Amino acid sequence: MNKRRPNPKQVPDPNEPLWRSTLRVAMPLNLSYIPIGLACGILLHAAGFNTLLTGLVSLLIFSGGAQFLIATMLTINSPLLSIVLMLFFLELRYALLSSSLSPYLKGSSNRFLFMFAVSLNDENYAINYLKFATDKKWTGREALMVEHYSLLFWAASNVVGSLIGSALKIDLSIVNFALTALFLYMIVMQIKNRLTIVICLISGVLAAVCMMLTKSTLGLVISTIIASLIGFGLEATLRKRLPDSHWLWRLRSPGSKKKAVEHSDAN
Amino acid sequence: MNAVNTWNSTQHFWLIILGFIVAFIPRFFPLMLFTKRAIPEWFNEWMKFVPVSLFTALVVKDIFIDSASYALLLDKYSEMLAAVVVIIVAYRTRSMAISVVVGLIGVFILSMFMA
Repeated sequence: MNKRRPNPKQVPDPNEPLWRSTLRVAMPLNLSYIPIGLACGILLHAAGFNTLLTGLVSLLIFSGGAQFLIATMLTINSPLLSIVLMLFFLELRYALLSSSLSPYLKGSSNRFLFMFAVSLNDENYAINYLKFATDKKWTGREALMVEHYSLLFWAASNVVGSLIGSALKIDLSIVNFALTALFLYMIVMQIKNRLTIVICLISGVLAAVCMMLTKSTLGLVISTIIASLIGFGLEATLRKRLPDSHWLWRLRSPGSKKKAVEHSDAN
Repeated sequence: MNAVNTWNSTQHFWLIILGFIVAFIPRFFPLMLFTKRAIPEWFNEWMKFVPVSLFTALVVKDIFIDSASYALLLDKYSEMLAAVVVIIVAYRTRSMAISVVVGLIGVFILSMFMA
Protein backbone atom coordinates (compact mmCIF):
# COMPACT_ATOMS: atom_id res chain seq x y z
CA MET A 1 0.00 0.00 0.00
CA ASN A 2 2.95 2.29 0.49
CA LYS A 3 4.04 1.86 -3.13
CA ARG A 4 2.22 4.95 -4.26
CA ARG A 5 2.97 5.76 -7.85
CA PRO A 6 4.17 9.32 -8.41
CA ASN A 7 1.07 10.63 -10.07
CA PRO A 8 0.00 14.10 -8.94
CA LYS A 9 -3.61 13.44 -9.92
CA GLN A 10 -3.89 10.74 -7.29
CA VAL A 11 -2.99 12.87 -4.29
CA PRO A 12 -6.25 13.45 -2.41
CA ASP A 13 -7.25 17.09 -2.29
CA PRO A 14 -8.77 17.96 1.11
CA ASN A 15 -10.93 20.69 -0.41
CA GLU A 16 -12.47 18.48 -3.05
CA PRO A 17 -16.26 18.42 -2.63
CA LEU A 18 -17.72 15.11 -1.52
CA TRP A 19 -19.78 14.60 -4.65
CA ARG A 20 -16.64 14.77 -6.76
CA SER A 21 -14.42 12.52 -4.67
CA THR A 22 -17.13 9.84 -4.50
CA LEU A 23 -17.82 10.20 -8.21
CA ARG A 24 -14.14 9.61 -8.87
CA VAL A 25 -14.32 6.39 -6.85
CA ALA A 26 -17.45 5.26 -8.69
CA MET A 27 -16.36 6.25 -12.21
CA PRO A 28 -14.60 3.02 -13.34
CA LEU A 29 -17.70 1.08 -12.35
CA ASN A 30 -20.04 3.62 -13.98
CA LEU A 31 -18.19 3.30 -17.28
CA SER A 32 -18.20 -0.49 -17.16
CA TYR A 33 -21.97 -0.45 -16.70
CA ILE A 34 -22.48 1.27 -20.05
CA PRO A 35 -21.91 -1.70 -22.43
CA ILE A 36 -23.69 -4.15 -20.14
CA GLY A 37 -26.58 -1.78 -19.52
CA LEU A 38 -26.97 -1.21 -23.26
CA ALA A 39 -27.07 -4.97 -23.92
CA CYS A 40 -29.57 -5.42 -21.12
CA GLY A 41 -31.81 -2.65 -22.44
CA ILE A 42 -31.75 -4.16 -25.93
CA LEU A 43 -32.77 -7.57 -24.56
CA LEU A 44 -35.51 -6.15 -22.34
CA HIS A 45 -36.89 -4.33 -25.35
CA ALA A 46 -36.88 -7.58 -27.32
CA ALA A 47 -38.70 -9.27 -24.44
CA GLY A 48 -41.50 -6.72 -24.82
CA PHE A 49 -40.62 -4.20 -22.12
CA ASN A 50 -41.31 -0.61 -23.11
CA THR A 51 -38.71 2.08 -22.42
CA LEU A 52 -40.47 3.42 -19.33
CA LEU A 53 -40.69 -0.03 -17.75
CA THR A 54 -37.06 -0.70 -18.67
CA GLY A 55 -36.13 2.41 -16.67
CA LEU A 56 -38.35 1.30 -13.79
CA VAL A 57 -36.94 -2.23 -13.63
CA SER A 58 -33.38 -0.83 -13.65
CA LEU A 59 -34.18 1.51 -10.76
CA LEU A 60 -36.16 -0.97 -8.65
CA ILE A 61 -34.34 -4.25 -9.20
CA PHE A 62 -30.93 -2.86 -10.19
CA SER A 63 -29.24 -6.16 -10.87
CA GLY A 64 -27.73 -7.03 -14.22
CA GLY A 65 -28.17 -10.75 -13.69
CA ALA A 66 -31.81 -10.40 -12.62
CA GLN A 67 -32.74 -8.13 -15.52
CA PHE A 68 -31.10 -10.33 -18.12
CA LEU A 69 -32.84 -13.30 -16.55
CA ILE A 70 -36.23 -11.56 -16.76
CA ALA A 71 -35.62 -10.84 -20.44
CA THR A 72 -34.53 -14.40 -21.22
CA MET A 73 -37.33 -16.05 -19.27
CA LEU A 74 -39.95 -13.81 -20.87
CA THR A 75 -38.77 -14.71 -24.36
CA ILE A 76 -39.20 -18.41 -23.56
CA ASN A 77 -42.63 -17.66 -22.03
CA SER A 78 -41.93 -18.84 -18.49
CA PRO A 79 -44.81 -18.43 -16.02
CA LEU A 80 -44.74 -15.48 -13.60
CA LEU A 81 -44.24 -17.63 -10.50
CA SER A 82 -41.29 -19.41 -12.05
CA ILE A 83 -39.60 -16.09 -12.95
CA VAL A 84 -40.16 -14.60 -9.49
CA LEU A 85 -38.90 -17.75 -7.75
CA MET A 86 -35.81 -17.79 -9.96
CA LEU A 87 -35.23 -14.10 -9.20
CA PHE A 88 -35.51 -14.78 -5.49
CA PHE A 89 -32.76 -17.38 -5.63
CA LEU A 90 -30.66 -15.18 -7.86
CA GLU A 91 -30.99 -12.27 -5.44
CA LEU A 92 -30.43 -14.43 -2.36
CA ARG A 93 -26.71 -13.85 -2.71
CA TYR A 94 -27.27 -10.27 -1.57
CA ALA A 95 -28.01 -11.66 1.89
CA LEU A 96 -24.34 -12.50 2.02
CA LEU A 97 -23.19 -9.16 0.65
CA SER A 98 -25.37 -7.08 2.93
CA SER A 99 -24.48 -9.08 6.03
CA SER A 100 -20.80 -8.61 5.29
CA LEU A 101 -21.26 -4.82 5.04
CA SER A 102 -23.31 -4.65 8.24
CA PRO A 103 -20.35 -4.18 10.64
CA TYR A 104 -19.55 -0.92 8.84
CA LEU A 105 -23.09 0.43 9.04
CA LYS A 106 -23.74 -0.09 12.74
CA GLY A 107 -25.80 2.68 14.27
CA SER A 108 -27.44 3.74 10.99
CA SER A 109 -31.16 4.45 11.00
CA ASN A 110 -33.54 1.98 9.39
CA ARG A 111 -34.42 4.62 6.83
CA PHE A 112 -30.78 4.87 5.76
CA LEU A 113 -30.47 1.08 5.67
CA PHE A 114 -33.56 0.94 3.47
CA MET A 115 -32.02 3.38 0.99
CA PHE A 116 -28.73 1.54 1.14
CA ALA A 117 -30.31 -1.88 0.57
CA VAL A 118 -32.41 -0.71 -2.40
CA SER A 119 -29.38 0.44 -4.37
CA LEU A 120 -26.97 -2.29 -3.28
CA ASN A 121 -25.48 -4.29 -6.13
CA ASP A 122 -22.63 -6.77 -6.68
CA GLU A 123 -20.30 -4.23 -8.18
CA ASN A 124 -20.86 -1.22 -5.93
CA TYR A 125 -20.63 -3.67 -3.03
CA ALA A 126 -17.15 -4.62 -4.20
CA ILE A 127 -16.06 -0.97 -4.29
CA ASN A 128 -17.63 -0.07 -0.96
CA TYR A 129 -16.37 -3.16 0.81
CA LEU A 130 -12.84 -2.35 -0.31
CA LYS A 131 -13.18 1.30 0.71
CA PHE A 132 -14.67 0.45 4.11
CA ALA A 133 -11.84 -2.00 4.72
CA THR A 134 -9.02 0.29 3.61
CA ASP A 135 -10.21 3.89 4.14
CA LYS A 136 -11.03 4.94 7.69
CA LYS A 137 -12.86 8.05 6.53
CA TRP A 138 -15.25 6.06 4.35
CA THR A 139 -18.70 6.14 5.92
CA GLY A 140 -22.18 5.00 4.98
CA ARG A 141 -22.85 8.40 3.42
CA GLU A 142 -20.04 8.11 0.86
CA ALA A 143 -20.97 4.49 0.21
CA LEU A 144 -24.55 5.46 -0.53
CA MET A 145 -23.37 8.12 -2.98
CA VAL A 146 -21.29 5.54 -4.86
CA GLU A 147 -24.39 3.34 -5.02
CA HIS A 148 -26.49 6.17 -6.41
CA TYR A 149 -23.95 7.07 -9.08
CA SER A 150 -23.78 3.48 -10.29
CA LEU A 151 -27.59 3.22 -10.19
CA LEU A 152 -27.87 6.35 -12.32
CA PHE A 153 -25.43 5.09 -14.96
CA TRP A 154 -27.04 1.65 -14.98
CA ALA A 155 -30.58 2.96 -15.46
CA ALA A 156 -29.51 5.46 -18.12
CA SER A 157 -27.64 2.84 -20.17
CA ASN A 158 -30.62 0.51 -19.95
CA VAL A 159 -32.97 3.19 -21.23
CA VAL A 160 -30.59 4.04 -24.09
CA GLY A 161 -30.29 0.31 -24.86
CA SER A 162 -34.06 0.04 -25.00
CA LEU A 163 -34.18 2.91 -27.50
CA ILE A 164 -31.41 1.34 -29.59
CA GLY A 165 -33.32 -1.95 -29.51
CA SER A 166 -36.41 -0.26 -30.93
CA ALA A 167 -34.42 1.46 -33.68
CA LEU A 168 -32.14 -1.35 -34.87
CA LYS A 169 -32.50 -5.03 -35.56
CA ILE A 170 -29.97 -6.97 -33.54
CA ASP A 171 -29.09 -10.65 -33.36
CA LEU A 172 -30.41 -11.48 -29.90
CA SER A 173 -28.70 -14.83 -29.41
CA ILE A 174 -25.42 -12.93 -29.50
CA VAL A 175 -26.53 -10.14 -27.14
CA ASN A 176 -27.84 -12.85 -24.82
CA PHE A 177 -24.31 -14.14 -24.44
CA ALA A 178 -23.62 -10.97 -22.43
CA LEU A 179 -25.50 -12.64 -19.58
CA THR A 180 -23.48 -15.84 -19.83
CA ALA A 181 -20.29 -13.79 -19.90
CA LEU A 182 -21.45 -11.77 -16.90
CA PHE A 183 -22.10 -14.93 -14.89
CA LEU A 184 -18.80 -16.46 -15.97
CA TYR A 185 -17.06 -13.31 -14.77
CA MET A 186 -18.89 -13.50 -11.44
CA ILE A 187 -17.94 -17.19 -11.05
CA VAL A 188 -14.28 -16.37 -11.65
CA MET A 189 -14.46 -13.59 -9.05
CA GLN A 190 -15.97 -16.03 -6.54
CA ILE A 191 -13.28 -18.69 -6.89
CA LYS A 192 -11.20 -18.59 -3.72
CA ASN A 193 -9.81 -22.11 -3.36
CA ARG A 194 -9.81 -25.47 -5.12
CA LEU A 195 -12.90 -26.53 -3.23
CA THR A 196 -14.88 -23.78 -4.97
CA ILE A 197 -13.89 -25.21 -8.34
CA VAL A 198 -15.10 -28.64 -7.23
CA ILE A 199 -18.41 -27.09 -6.16
CA CYS A 200 -18.68 -25.41 -9.57
CA LEU A 201 -18.30 -28.77 -11.31
CA ILE A 202 -20.79 -30.47 -8.97
CA SER A 203 -23.25 -27.62 -9.42
CA GLY A 204 -22.88 -27.68 -13.20
CA VAL A 205 -23.60 -31.40 -13.47
CA LEU A 206 -26.43 -31.20 -10.91
CA ALA A 207 -27.97 -28.26 -12.78
CA ALA A 208 -28.01 -30.14 -16.08
CA VAL A 209 -29.49 -33.26 -14.47
CA CYS A 210 -32.09 -31.36 -12.44
CA MET A 211 -33.23 -29.28 -15.42
CA MET A 212 -33.52 -32.37 -17.62
CA LEU A 213 -35.56 -34.11 -14.90
CA THR A 214 -37.86 -31.21 -13.96
CA LYS A 215 -38.09 -29.89 -17.53
CA SER A 216 -38.14 -26.39 -16.05
CA THR A 217 -35.94 -23.73 -14.47
CA LEU A 218 -37.05 -25.08 -11.10
CA GLY A 219 -34.16 -27.49 -11.63
CA LEU A 220 -31.81 -24.51 -11.20
CA VAL A 221 -33.26 -23.75 -7.79
CA ILE A 222 -33.02 -27.37 -6.65
CA SER A 223 -29.47 -27.83 -7.91
CA THR A 224 -28.35 -24.53 -6.32
CA ILE A 225 -29.67 -25.54 -2.91
CA ILE A 226 -28.11 -29.01 -3.12
CA ALA A 227 -24.75 -27.77 -4.46
CA SER A 228 -24.42 -24.99 -1.85
CA LEU A 229 -25.26 -27.44 0.94
CA ILE A 230 -22.67 -29.89 -0.43
CA GLY A 231 -20.13 -27.05 -0.43
CA PHE A 232 -21.07 -26.05 3.12
CA GLY A 233 -20.82 -29.69 4.30
CA LEU A 234 -17.59 -30.44 2.44
CA GLU A 235 -15.87 -27.34 3.74
CA ALA A 236 -16.94 -27.97 7.32
CA THR A 237 -15.76 -31.61 7.11
CA LEU A 238 -12.44 -30.65 5.50
CA ARG A 239 -11.81 -27.93 8.09
CA LYS A 240 -12.45 -30.40 10.89
CA ARG A 241 -10.65 -33.48 9.55
CA LEU A 242 -7.89 -32.06 7.33
CA PRO A 243 -7.39 -28.42 8.32
CA ASP A 244 -4.39 -28.01 6.03
CA SER A 245 -5.81 -29.84 3.04
CA HIS A 246 -4.69 -28.35 -0.24
CA TRP A 247 -8.35 -28.09 -1.28
CA LEU A 248 -8.65 -25.13 1.08
CA TRP A 249 -5.56 -23.30 -0.11
CA ARG A 250 -6.28 -19.87 -1.38
CA LEU A 251 -5.88 -19.36 -5.10
CA ARG A 252 -4.51 -16.04 -6.12
CA SER A 253 -5.37 -14.53 -9.43
CA PRO A 254 -2.65 -12.61 -11.24
CA GLY A 255 -4.46 -9.30 -11.23
CA SER A 256 -6.36 -9.49 -7.98
CA LYS A 257 -4.39 -8.42 -4.96
CA LYS A 258 -2.02 -5.89 -6.39
CA LYS A 259 -4.65 -4.17 -8.47
CA ALA A 260 -7.12 -3.93 -5.61
CA VAL A 261 -4.55 -2.24 -3.43
CA GLU A 262 -3.37 0.12 -6.13
CA HIS A 263 -6.94 0.94 -6.88
CA SER A 264 -7.85 1.82 -3.32
CA ASP A 265 -4.67 3.79 -3.02
CA ALA A 266 -5.40 5.76 -6.13
CA ASN A 267 -8.74 6.82 -4.81
CA MET B 1 -34.75 -16.35 -28.81
CA ASN B 2 -37.24 -15.81 -31.60
CA ALA B 3 -40.40 -16.50 -29.64
CA VAL B 4 -42.39 -13.34 -29.09
CA ASN B 5 -43.66 -12.74 -25.61
CA THR B 6 -47.34 -11.97 -25.29
CA TRP B 7 -47.37 -10.22 -21.92
CA ASN B 8 -48.73 -6.70 -21.75
CA SER B 9 -47.30 -3.73 -19.87
CA THR B 10 -49.51 -4.26 -16.81
CA GLN B 11 -48.16 -7.77 -16.43
CA HIS B 12 -44.63 -6.46 -16.88
CA PHE B 13 -45.34 -3.87 -14.20
CA TRP B 14 -46.43 -6.49 -11.68
CA LEU B 15 -43.43 -8.63 -12.54
CA ILE B 16 -41.23 -5.63 -11.70
CA ILE B 17 -43.01 -5.05 -8.38
CA LEU B 18 -42.74 -8.73 -7.38
CA GLY B 19 -39.14 -8.74 -8.58
CA PHE B 20 -38.45 -5.65 -6.46
CA ILE B 21 -39.84 -7.40 -3.37
CA VAL B 22 -37.76 -10.55 -3.82
CA ALA B 23 -34.70 -8.44 -4.64
CA PHE B 24 -35.27 -6.22 -1.61
CA ILE B 25 -35.78 -8.89 1.07
CA PRO B 26 -32.31 -10.47 0.93
CA ARG B 27 -30.65 -7.05 0.65
CA PHE B 28 -32.45 -5.33 3.51
CA PHE B 29 -33.21 -7.82 6.28
CA PRO B 30 -29.68 -9.14 6.86
CA LEU B 31 -28.49 -5.53 6.89
CA MET B 32 -31.15 -4.48 9.41
CA LEU B 33 -30.63 -7.55 11.58
CA PHE B 34 -26.87 -7.75 11.57
CA THR B 35 -26.17 -4.06 12.18
CA LYS B 36 -27.82 -4.78 15.52
CA ARG B 37 -26.60 -8.29 16.39
CA ALA B 38 -23.91 -10.78 15.37
CA ILE B 39 -24.15 -12.91 12.21
CA PRO B 40 -24.61 -16.65 12.85
CA GLU B 41 -21.52 -18.45 11.57
CA TRP B 42 -23.34 -21.28 9.78
CA PHE B 43 -25.48 -18.85 7.80
CA ASN B 44 -22.43 -17.12 6.36
CA GLU B 45 -20.67 -20.41 5.70
CA TRP B 46 -23.64 -21.73 3.77
CA MET B 47 -24.44 -18.51 1.89
CA LYS B 48 -20.83 -18.39 0.72
CA PHE B 49 -21.56 -21.23 -1.70
CA VAL B 50 -24.88 -19.95 -3.06
CA PRO B 51 -23.50 -17.50 -5.68
CA VAL B 52 -20.98 -19.92 -7.22
CA SER B 53 -23.53 -22.72 -7.37
CA LEU B 54 -26.21 -20.54 -8.90
CA PHE B 55 -23.97 -18.80 -11.45
CA THR B 56 -22.58 -22.14 -12.62
CA ALA B 57 -26.09 -23.54 -12.93
CA LEU B 58 -27.13 -20.52 -15.01
CA VAL B 59 -24.12 -20.79 -17.30
CA VAL B 60 -24.85 -24.50 -17.81
CA LYS B 61 -28.44 -23.59 -18.66
CA ASP B 62 -27.30 -21.01 -21.21
CA ILE B 63 -24.73 -23.20 -22.93
CA PHE B 64 -25.81 -26.83 -22.52
CA ILE B 65 -29.59 -26.83 -22.08
CA ASP B 66 -32.16 -26.26 -24.81
CA SER B 67 -34.42 -23.42 -23.69
CA ALA B 68 -37.61 -25.02 -25.03
CA SER B 69 -37.27 -28.76 -24.44
CA TYR B 70 -34.76 -28.75 -21.57
CA ALA B 71 -32.78 -31.45 -23.36
CA LEU B 72 -28.99 -31.60 -23.18
CA LEU B 73 -27.33 -29.69 -26.02
CA LEU B 74 -23.69 -30.32 -26.87
CA ASP B 75 -23.38 -28.48 -30.16
CA LYS B 76 -23.13 -24.81 -29.19
CA TYR B 77 -19.43 -24.79 -30.00
CA SER B 78 -19.12 -21.04 -30.52
CA GLU B 79 -20.63 -20.35 -27.07
CA MET B 80 -18.45 -23.02 -25.46
CA LEU B 81 -15.27 -21.59 -26.95
CA ALA B 82 -16.28 -18.02 -26.16
CA ALA B 83 -16.99 -19.10 -22.57
CA VAL B 84 -13.44 -20.41 -22.22
CA VAL B 85 -12.14 -17.11 -23.60
CA VAL B 86 -14.29 -15.15 -21.10
CA ILE B 87 -13.00 -17.23 -18.18
CA ILE B 88 -9.39 -16.53 -19.17
CA VAL B 89 -10.04 -12.83 -19.72
CA ALA B 90 -11.95 -12.49 -16.43
CA TYR B 91 -9.19 -14.30 -14.56
CA ARG B 92 -6.45 -12.12 -16.00
CA THR B 93 -8.15 -8.72 -16.06
CA ARG B 94 -10.68 -8.95 -13.19
CA SER B 95 -12.74 -6.50 -15.23
CA MET B 96 -16.44 -7.04 -15.74
CA ALA B 97 -16.76 -4.75 -18.76
CA ILE B 98 -13.76 -6.21 -20.62
CA SER B 99 -14.97 -9.77 -19.94
CA VAL B 100 -18.47 -9.08 -21.24
CA VAL B 101 -17.34 -7.12 -24.30
CA VAL B 102 -14.70 -9.72 -25.24
CA GLY B 103 -17.34 -12.44 -24.77
CA LEU B 104 -19.77 -10.67 -27.09
CA ILE B 105 -17.16 -10.05 -29.77
CA GLY B 106 -15.89 -13.62 -29.37
CA VAL B 107 -19.26 -15.27 -29.80
CA PHE B 108 -20.03 -13.00 -32.75
CA ILE B 109 -16.82 -13.91 -34.59
CA LEU B 110 -16.96 -17.61 -33.68
CA SER B 111 -20.59 -17.96 -34.75
CA MET B 112 -19.68 -16.62 -38.21
CA PHE B 113 -17.21 -19.47 -38.66
CA MET B 114 -19.11 -22.22 -36.93
CA ALA B 115 -22.74 -21.30 -37.55
